Amino acid sequence: MIETIRFWAIVALVAFGLFFTFVSVVGVIRLPDVYARSHTASQTDTLGAGLTLAAVALALGWQHATVYTVLLLFFVFITNPTAAHAIARSAAESGIVPYENTVDEEGESP
Amino acid sequence: MNGELLADVFLGAAALFVVLAIVLFYRVAAGPTTQDRLLAVNVLGTNTVVILALLAVGLDETSFLDIALIYALLNFLMAIAISKFTVERGGVL
Amino acid sequence: MYNDGRAEGPTVATERLLVPLSETVTVRQTVGYAVRSGLERTDDLECHLVVAMPSDRELPEGTSEVDEAESLLSKAESWVEEDAEGSSVTVETAVLGADEYLFGPRDFARTFASYAAAHDVDRVVLDPEYQPGSTAGIIQPLERELEAAGLAYEEAPVERPARHERLIGDGTQRFDRLFATFVISYGFYMILGDPTYWFDWVTGAAVAGIVAATLANVTFTFPLDRVQSPLRTVRFALYIPYLLYEIVKANLAISVVILRPSMPIDPKLTRVDARVRSGLPLLALANSITLTPGTLTVRADDQRLIVHSLIADAREDLFDGSLERAVRFVFHGRDSAAIATPRERDDAEIIGGEEL
Repeated sequence: MIETIRFWAIVALVAFGLFFTFVSVVGVIRLPDVYARSHTASQTDTLGAGLTLAAVALALGWQHATVYTVLLLFFVFITNPTAAHAIARSAAESGIVPYENTVDEEGESP
Repeated sequence: MNGELLADVFLGAAALFVVLAIVLFYRVAAGPTTQDRLLAVNVLGTNTVVILALLAVGLDETSFLDIALIYALLNFLMAIAISKFTVERGGVL
Repeated sequence: MYNDGRAEGPTVATERLLVPLSETVTVRQTVGYAVRSGLERTDDLECHLVVAMPSDRELPEGTSEVDEAESLLSKAESWVEEDAEGSSVTVETAVLGADEYLFGPRDFARTFASYAAAHDVDRVVLDPEYQPGSTAGIIQPLERELEAAGLAYEEAPVERPARHERLIGDGTQRFDRLFATFVISYGFYMILGDPTYWFDWVTGAAVAGIVAATLANVTFTFPLDRVQSPLRTVRFALYIPYLLYEIVKANLAISVVILRPSMPIDPKLTRVDARVRSGLPLLALANSITLTPGTLTVRADDQRLIVHSLIADAREDLFDGSLERAVRFVFHGRDSAAIATPRERDDAEIIGGEEL
C-alpha cells in the first residue's frame, strides 16, 4: 500500500517536473528577448529541477545518496538565480534594450 | 516489480529531458545575442544535472550524483565567467 | 570670521574641514590627522564632524543608530579638543541622512556634497576604513563619487593593522568567526563523506581547520552575534516554505501566460528601492526576486534594484513588497517586518529601457 502511494507520488513528481521544464523550454524558444527568457529559465531551476530531484530523493529512500540530492537542489537554488542575474546584468551592460509591447494585446494591463 | 517499473519511469523521464535539451539547442544556435546563448546553455546545464540525477536512480549508480554536483558547480562558474567576459571591465557581480 | 588681515601663518582664512565618522579602528587617528593638518595651514580651524546614517529614523533599527551616532560624535568632539592643544578649533557636529534612506556611495557623496556646500567646507578628510552602517567597505566607490561631485577630499594617512586583520574585532569576535566557519565546513565535509568512518573524521577536521584559518574573515565580513546569528538561521528556515509558496504561485501564473497561443506578456522594467542592508540581506532579496518567475533582478547596485517584470501580476506582487518584508523578518526580526510597501513609500516605479 505504502509502496503504491510512493510509486504514484514519484510518477506525479516526475510528471510535474517534466511539465515545468517543458513550459520553460517553450518560453526560452518563444519569448521575445533575453530578459523575458530569463524569467522562464528560472522555472527550470526551481520547479522543474526541484520536483524531479524530489522524486529522485523519494525513490532513493533513506540513504546517504539522498543527502546528495538535497544538497544538489540547494546548490541549484542558490547558484542559478545568481547566474541568471549575472547574465541579465551583462545583457544590460552591453546595451540590449528590453522589448516592450507596442500594441496592446488582450486586457493584460491592470 | 515496482522497482523495475520505477527504473523505467526514471529512464523514460530522462529520455524526455534529453529531448527538451535538444530543443534548447535551437536557442543556443539561433542566439541572437551572446547572452541568449549563455542563458540557453545555462538552462541546458540545469537540465543535464536533472538527467544525471534521474540516471543515477534509473541505472542504480549513485556515483552519478557526485558528477551531477560537480556539473552544477561548473555550470554556475561557466555562466559567471562568460557573462563577466562579455562586459568590458568591472564586476558583473 | 573671515580673513582678518593677520600676516603670519601660511594662510589666514578659516579652514573648514568635513570629517565623516564611523565606528572603525582608525577613526581616532583620522580625527587627529584632520586637526593636525588643519592647524598646519591655518590658525582658525573649523572642524565639521558628521555621522551619516544609512537608514532613516522611522525604521525600527534607526533609533538605536541615532543614539550610537550621537555618542560617537561626543567622543570625537573631545578628541578634537585633546588634539587642538589650546589652539582655537571650532567644532560642529551633525547627524546626516536621518530623514532619508541612504542607498550607497552615491547617496553618501551627495549628502556630504550638499552639507559641504551649505557650510562652505574646503576639504573632506576621509577615514580609510570608513564604513557607515554594517555595509561592506565603500571607501573606493565613495572617493569616485566625491570626485564626480567636485569635492576636494583627502584620505587620512593612518597606521592601521595589516589588511587581513582589518575585519577582525576583538578576540571573541575572531573566535566566533573561526568557530562558525569550522563547524559549517566540517559539517559539509561529513555530509559528503562517511560519518561512520574514522578516517573521514580526521581528514575532515584537518580540512575544516585549514578552511577556518584561511577563510574565516572572507566568509563573515560582518560581526557575528551569538544570539542573533543562530536566530537568523532559524528564521531563514521559516522563510524557505514561504518562498516556495511564492515560487509555485508565480510558476503557475507564468506557465499559463506562456502556454497561451497569444502569449499576453507585458514586459516592463521597474525600479525598487529595497530597504534591506547590502551584503547578505540584499543578496537574499535579489536572489528571491530572481527565483520567482515573472520578476528578474537586472541590477542591484546600492539597494536600488532594477527589476524586469514579465506580467502585470508579478509586478503588483513586487510593488506590494511581500518578499522584502520577509527578508527583513529573517534578518531583523518580526518588528522590522512591518514597514510600508514600496508602492506606499514611493520607492517603486516603472522605468523605460533606456534607464538601464
